[in-house]
Amino acid sequence: MNQPAMRIILAIYVVCFLAYLYGPFVVMGILSFQQGPEGGPQFPIIEWSTFWYQQVMGIAPPSRVAPLPIGEALARSLTLAFATMVVATVLGTLTAQAFRRNFKGSGIVFYLVVLGMMVPGVLLGLGMSLVANQLGIQRTWWGTAFVLHVVYTFPFAFLVMLAIFNRFDARIEEAAWALGATPMRTFRKVTFPIIFPGVLSAMLFAFTLSYDEFPRTLFTGGPDVTMPIAIYGTFSVEIHPNLFAFGVLTTLFSFALLTVYGLLMTASVRRAQTRATGLQEDIA
Amino acid sequence: MSVDDTGRKQGFFQRNKHMALLAPGVVWMTLFLVIPLGMMVYVSFWTQTTFAISSDLTLKSWQTFFASETYFGALLRTIRLWLTVLALTFIIGYPAALFIGQFVRNKTTQTILLVACVIPFWTSFLIRVLAWRPMLGKEGAINILLQKFGLIDAPIEVLLFTELSVIIGMVQIYVVFMVGPIAFMLARIDQSLIEAARDLGASGWTIFRKIIFPLSLPGVVVGAIFVSVMVLGEFATASALSGRKVNLLGNIIVTQVGSLKWAFAAVIGVILTGVMAVVITLLLRVVDLRKEL
Repeated sequence: MNQPAMRIILAIYVVCFLAYLYGPFVVMGILSFQQGPEGGPQFPIIEWSTFWYQQVMGIAPPSRVAPLPIGEALARSLTLAFATMVVATVLGTLTAQAFRRNFKGSGIVFYLVVLGMMVPGVLLGLGMSLVANQLGIQRTWWGTAFVLHVVYTFPFAFLVMLAIFNRFDARIEEAAWALGATPMRTFRKVTFPIIFPGVLSAMLFAFTLSYDEFPRTLFTGGPDVTMPIAIYGTFSVEIHPNLFAFGVLTTLFSFALLTVYGLLMTASVRRAQTRATGLQEDIA
Repeated sequence: MSVDDTGRKQGFFQRNKHMALLAPGVVWMTLFLVIPLGMMVYVSFWTQTTFAISSDLTLKSWQTFFASETYFGALLRTIRLWLTVLALTFIIGYPAALFIGQFVRNKTTQTILLVACVIPFWTSFLIRVLAWRPMLGKEGAINILLQKFGLIDAPIEVLLFTELSVIIGMVQIYVVFMVGPIAFMLARIDQSLIEAARDLGASGWTIFRKIIFPLSLPGVVVGAIFVSVMVLGEFATASALSGRKVNLLGNIIVTQVGSLKWAFAAVIGVILTGVMAVVITLLLRVVDLRKEL
């Protein structure tokens, strides 16, 4: 294997690979500027316009194309994602904390938790609706769908926290206890700041997975739809470029979320560094 | 006395602290994961009539499944499609992961490339699927480009609303889950190992075959698990890109639930679970997930 030649070939390959990953997005981005409301979701572009963006924002004049049923669905999805994030991260952190010590049956508990992310959404959604039918429980997005969202995202939070705790030096906590700090204070002042980046990643995972969750919600969400279900509803009827405009907007929203995550992460790293140097100066 | 009391209380807390940490997660998973799956198995033996379902146990739904050409065919189609997508994500993803994990030595560039692979993941899954339609159609971007460059005279029609379009779409959506774990394992390889092999006169191919590939295998397995789980439970991509012509087991479950044929949907669910369990067990034979963290 000729190293430099191989490197160039692979570099070209990666460029093609990225083109494959991004191709549909580029096309989607272009078509979102299709003329409206007559233009369809295909080439050629009749005339460039921002009609579909206006329609998604709800400021376009009424036309034969019904606007996307977003508004309330978006609010529901965000609420659901937020609640899921909180519960999944708490459960994940607690369980990972328990896994810092070896215990009998740890293998079973590990696979029980990981099973949550391995079982396809269709199956879980089906199972949960059967249980709901049997017990006569109403299927709602904040009830039956919510518990499944946690089942799905909790394993991700758990694995992230497990990886963090694996690299965690327990002697720091022991030092805090030895110096007379209560367990609560130790957790607040010592443990939590160290695991904070992990907690943030776990939250990010849980939020985005829940926000975009679809098969589980389809079966158990009940009559009030969340965002992905609303989009799925447009599958069966004709699709219009407003869906593409909405896609572009949600991608921008995701970027905003990622930026917040990045900023929080950098801030936490910087704070840790300042504290460390401050400590060194104190000692000096 | 009060001192004694608090001491005992703390002792009780200490002794049961471990249980207290574990209990919420275990209880949640038992109630909302194990019980629903158990319920699915149970309901698959219920009696289904056109309009109602009763809890009299019967094997009838199972017999219908294996006797029906359509349903058994869907099982075979699901398995065929899953194997195709799995193989393609590996073949297409591995070289990209190899470049990111082994040829890029700068950590920042590595991260940037990985993030570039993950960014598409940040758009709604359903919109990503729909974005393939204007790409593949008869008047889609690919056909327009190919015609412009004179590579073809007439538009290729098999691109959209066929099994091929489902495969193209699924590979694009799931290949990232293969690239990530493999690149992660490749980046962890100790470079001195490779240098040692080179000093001993091993060729590039031998180094790949004897060192790089075996060490990246856990990443391949983790990626394969991710891809398998997602593809086997798929239905949205199939119905959106095949115009409902390609029916996977997932599609049938959705249709059956739609027409309130719960027992039958449960049968298909159990079969899908069985396939999945076999696949994951085989893959976990190759690598212990807990040790790789």
